Amino acid sequence: MNSGTPSSSAAGAGSADSIAPRRNSKRPKYSRFTQQELPACKPILTPKWVIGTFLLVSVIFIPIGVVSLFASRDVVEIVDRYETECIPETLRNDKVGFIQSDRSKTCQRTLRVPKNMKQPIYVYYQLDNFYQNHRRYVKSRSDQQLRNNGSLQDTGPCKPEDNTAGGPIVPCGLIAWSLFNDTYGFTRNNQQLDVNKKGISWKSDREHKFGKNVFPRNFQSGTLKGGATLNPNVSLSEQEDLIVWMRTAALPTFRKLYGKIEVDLQRDDLINVTLENNYNTYSFSGKKKLVLSTTSWLGGKNDFVGIAYLTVGGLCFFLALVFLLIYLIKPRQLGDPSYLSWNRNPSGH
Amino acid sequence: MKRYVYINDDNLAKDIYCDNRISNRKYTILNFLPKNLWEQFSRFMNQYFLLIACLQLWSLITPVNPASTWGPLILIFAVSSSKEAWDDYNRYLLDKKANEKEIWIVRQGIRKLIQAQDICIGNIVWLRENDEVPCDLLLLGTADPQGFCYVETAALDGETDLKTRSIPSACMGIDVDLLHKIKGVIECPSPNKDIRRFDANMRLFPPFLDNDIFPLTIKNTLLQSCYLRNTEWACGVAVYTGNQTKLGMCRGIAEPKLTAVDAMIDKLTGAVFVFQIVVVIVLGIAGNVFKDKQGRKLWYVQYPKEGPWYELLVIPLRFELLCSIMIPISIKVSLDLAKSLYAKFIDWDVEMVDPETGIRSNAANQAISEDLGQVEYILTDKTGTLTENKMIFKRCCISGRFYGNESGDALTAKVGQFHTRHYPKMKKPLYVLLLVCAWFWRIKTEIFLILTSMHLQCNMKYLTLWSSHLTGKECLWWLGNAKAGNFSSCQKEQMKLFFLLPILIVSGQQVRTFAEAVEQYAQMGLRTLCLAWRKLEEDEYQEWTSMFKEANSTLVDRERRVAEVCQRLERDFEILGVAAIEDRLQEGVPETIEILRKAGINFWMLTGDKMSTAIQIALSCNFVSPEPKGQILIIDGKTEDEVCRSLDRVLLTTRITESESKQDVAFVVDGWALEIALKHYRKPFTELAILSRTAICCRVTPSQKAQLVELLKLCDYRTLAIGDGGNDVRMIQQADIGVGISGREGLQAARAADYSIGKFRFLKRLILVHGRYSYNRTAFLSQYSFYKSFLICFIQIFFSFISGVSGTSLFNTVSLMAYNVFYTSVPVLFSVLDKDLSERTVMQHPQILFDCQSGRLLNPSTFAGWFGRSLFHAIVVFVITIHSYAFEKSVMEEVAMVAVSGCIWLQAFVVALETNSFTIFQHLAIWGNLVGFYAINWIVSSIPTSGMYTIMFRLCEQPSYWITMILIVATGMCPVLALKYLRYTYRPSRINLLQQSERLGGPILSSGIIEPKSRSSLDKDIPTDSVYEPLLSESPSATRRSAGPTQRLDSVQSQSPPHSTHTRKDN
Repeated sequence: MNSGTPSSSAAGAGSADSIAPRRNSKRPKYSRFTQQELPACKPILTPKWVIGTFLLVSVIFIPIGVVSLFASRDVVEIVDRYETECIPETLRNDKVGFIQSDRSKTCQRTLRVPKNMKQPIYVYYQLDNFYQNHRRYVKSRSDQQLRNNGSLQDTGPCKPEDNTAGGPIVPCGLIAWSLFNDTYGFTRNNQQLDVNKKGISWKSDREHKFGKNVFPRNFQSGTLKGGATLNPNVSLSEQEDLIVWMRTAALPTFRKLYGKIEVDLQRDDLINVTLENNYNTYSFSGKKKLVLSTTSWLGGKNDFVGIAYLTVGGLCFFLALVFLLIYLIKPRQLGDPSYLSWNRNPSGH
Repeated sequence: MKRYVYINDDNLAKDIYCDNRISNRKYTILNFLPKNLWEQFSRFMNQYFLLIACLQLWSLITPVNPASTWGPLILIFAVSSSKEAWDDYNRYLLDKKANEKEIWIVRQGIRKLIQAQDICIGNIVWLRENDEVPCDLLLLGTADPQGFCYVETAALDGETDLKTRSIPSACMGIDVDLLHKIKGVIECPSPNKDIRRFDANMRLFPPFLDNDIFPLTIKNTLLQSCYLRNTEWACGVAVYTGNQTKLGMCRGIAEPKLTAVDAMIDKLTGAVFVFQIVVVIVLGIAGNVFKDKQGRKLWYVQYPKEGPWYELLVIPLRFELLCSIMIPISIKVSLDLAKSLYAKFIDWDVEMVDPETGIRSNAANQAISEDLGQVEYILTDKTGTLTENKMIFKRCCISGRFYGNESGDALTAKVGQFHTRHYPKMKKPLYVLLLVCAWFWRIKTEIFLILTSMHLQCNMKYLTLWSSHLTGKECLWWLGNAKAGNFSSCQKEQMKLFFLLPILIVSGQQVRTFAEAVEQYAQMGLRTLCLAWRKLEEDEYQEWTSMFKEANSTLVDRERRVAEVCQRLERDFEILGVAAIEDRLQEGVPETIEILRKAGINFWMLTGDKMSTAIQIALSCNFVSPEPKGQILIIDGKTEDEVCRSLDRVLLTTRITESESKQDVAFVVDGWALEIALKHYRKPFTELAILSRTAICCRVTPSQKAQLVELLKLCDYRTLAIGDGGNDVRMIQQADIGVGISGREGLQAARAADYSIGKFRFLKRLILVHGRYSYNRTAFLSQYSFYKSFLICFIQIFFSFISGVSGTSLFNTVSLMAYNVFYTSVPVLFSVLDKDLSERTVMQHPQILFDCQSGRLLNPSTFAGWFGRSLFHAIVVFVITIHSYAFEKSVMEEVAMVAVSGCIWLQAFVVALETNSFTIFQHLAIWGNLVGFYAINWIVSSIPTSGMYTIMFRLCEQPSYWITMILIVATGMCPVLALKYLRYTYRPSRINLLQQSERLGGPILSSGIIEPKSRSSLDKDIPTDSVYEPLLSESPSATRRSAGPTQRLDSVQSQSPPHSTHTRKDN
């Protein structure tokens, strides 16, 4: 073959190369891969296997479900919804007006401890119907600016909370601007319960995401005041409330850690909460809850996992039983060639 | 349109015709980028991805970094355009080499060395031995005093033997020096691609000859890319140059073939696109409503009171971008990769290597392997495809006596001896005729055996005169010429010999015997030659020669006129005898056809042979079951009415028998009737074509073959055309799949084909193994690609309902990009190693191919199944994730990673559940991919600047993460497993049944078990018994019934067991 001629490219681009090996007629190299004869395991769904699998799943799942459920039940949790209660009854017709006014918003709540609670007891605030995952909101932050002192001007994604007349806002963006600003003080038997607010945020955030030498600037100095203010003399890496808040939640209902109570609480203890109800959830009818909770190896109180495990385990057990029954009542020979349609109808089509 | 070429007058031609610059290039440097991009963007998928990528540049609406689309998009484009560029560059280099080759030409009467690209029309080009012909030349002179030269045309038609070319008679005897000054005009057709014809005239100007017009044929030309061999020099005048040469005109760019699977995927993609638009519109409206009802109350979001004019569009566009992953960008890449591997498997297959020649199978077209599994019609050539195209002189009938029997090698000696003794006068004409025919049929060795035994001394050189490409008529003409030439040197007496291919109908008693002989031989599946001769008187010859010349020099309708003239000579022949040549069936042909017919593939045989031979071959290779099951209906007739009546009758019979569905009906039609049927009775013929599983078309032309393919394609059947010769090229190109047999007739068919194989029997492996696996694998791969895209897209959609329908993306850019590119693409790519059934089971139950043909594994309903599964899995992942990661754990990044991990785990199990056979690679890919997922995420999680810094470490430390994963997998997979089990056990598909019986080791019983026959078993199975019925004992009337049992026996024998072949070879 004269593969160098213009002619051989006549039949298309590939012909020149495709003909050469054919003419050379090299025997293709034999390997199990090229012959598609690699040893293979070919499992099939026999009743034994399938029923066995379902039984196994149920045997594993039901205990895990029970354990998870117990873990969740062991968690003691006090939830107190306060957004309505903390508004004087006379003003409840115009909640937004109240929250935006300059009146005193201090509010007293009393919580009763249902069971003994071992320390540490986590104090959370829970917001409902608050879209921290809203697209406008979740993007409105500048990680550069939070990390580096030199990136003050890096306020690109922060609009509309990016600049004031006095320069760039640090920390900029809607997330920081809407920082939660309710505060809680706890007393038991007129004795102050200390809330430890150190170490409530992720260590990695403090060390790598929020700069040690980045300080708040022009924060909440705009015309529109959002949430909490920040002490301009404390670096961002120590503003743990902000760090916690800026770990945006994926769901519109979320809890954020407020602090830790590092003493045990006894059953039937009465805890008085002095509460500054500053944060406006009224304009979008959001709820605010104060949560005191212990923790387990699974996290907080959450029955879902346990119930789900029990359900799945139970269903699998049920399915295994049903399959077994069907198998016993109506056994069926696997691979019976008489089921092949062409064996039933010899003429093919 | 005609073109006039003035010899040696380059001033005239320069302006009118193009120069000899060859260009196979598609692009130039300047137009490469725009043209290539334009081509790529003419595809819908690419337009779509580009639109998405462009939208992503708008930061207001983009949910993720634009890199997530631009990256893969640019990668895909770069890969395919650099491949194009590389191919084009190689073409350019080849062109350049050819264009800059130095060539001797004559300019202004002087010989000059110029580059090939500067040759003009009318230039005289000089070639030396072994030179390549630079453009289409009309031969003017050669070193040979007789005016002959030899060329090798392998590059043009793949035929490796040398061909003879001669200078036109006008140029005979012109002195070499005078050739420099020769002037004249050639009237030739406009450039065309017919490499077998050149109907032109030449007139030389004085002083060379008076103004006589000389006819020219293809025999007088040297076509571009041929090589001059065994001839010291030759010169010719350029008639076609550059891209207008015959070769250049043939160089059509074949249209890319689209497989049925690809068409289905395109259709489904279109449906997905519509679905996506609907989702986008619904979510867009919901988003805008939510914004107005709720969003403006969310003070922390700070919606501006007055938005820009396009405000209403922002949310829908965001959702468009979020949902754009619904159409997976990876599907194209995955499919291309898989397809090239399918093609490689075909190339690599040692079971499809011809053991005799070592020719391996080759998939020239990498993109259509799936179609092999969906073939419904196979249209096959006969000679060289079903048969070996190795002509063996088997029997003959001389003067009413029959010679020859089954054991072939005794034949020659016997006939020879017999003949010398009894017909000394007869021998020479007969053998010379046989010799001529031998060349025609290319059975050189066999006949030379006779020749040597007869001590016929013939000069080899002149034998090449009757080289293989003469048609019957030309052969005649050559023999006429031989009278003046050197034929006499081996025949003392001057004589002219004629032979005719068609059976002669001459009156007289003797003729009947010959007619019967022809009939009998034909029914044995032999090719027959009727040999006859007549002495011509000198003046009769002269008269005829001049008429022949005249006819031969007409430009219009030359073929017909020549035929007319020839007919005048074909009379009063004395029949010498009938020779029968066997073209044996290739090994394994009947078994292959039987298996493929069982697989539900309909066979059509298209052959140029005569009807009885075709029917006989059809019977012997299981095309039609023998009577009483099989039935052959013949459509014939010479006039429209006859054909119409015949067609109606056949159609009626077919309808009746089809409804009973017990019988195997085949119809037979010849070229003439077919022409009429296709022209005037297309509708009934089409109906017949659909009803009848088998058809035999004899005496059909290449274009009719292509027409039949077209007919079946119009009925929406997947067609596969298989052939070996140049006459099959059109059919092969027309069909959905073209398979060429690299056979004795050259590589032309193999080169035009999508697949080339060495022997017909490899077809069953090509279809049942490679085609079927390819289809199954692609069906899974493509639907799975959509499944995983839907899965992640649904999660995004669900998430948008809990994020204020604002179009937030739950997943980050890295996850989205890697999800499509790595996590979900790698495991499924290894499904190209999956085998649902073993090759042996498929061969035993070819009926299983029905499932592929009817597209059971990839159609809207299976797709709906995958859609439902992805919806269910998305719900599982989403619900479990948001509930187990609720409240204090609902950190955006964590929730996203939990959801992604859930998807990855689920998809690993889905792939595992859908895999039929696990090789080590699949295990590595599926489970290794999970490891890879964690590795990649740990790496990303350890980069402090990345958004997901520490997230993955944090998650992996939590027991609740792992508990959630297990929960997701169990909840997602248990219902799927349960459903699959129920269907598998209580409503199994045929594939399932075979899987079960194959793997449980139970007996695989099928009503029609066909063991693939090995070489050794072939001998045992086929009755090579000695009950040989002598031909002569059968009365001709008995043989009329073409499907009788004795005939069947005989036809089986004519396959001739292999060992006899070897013994013959030894001679």
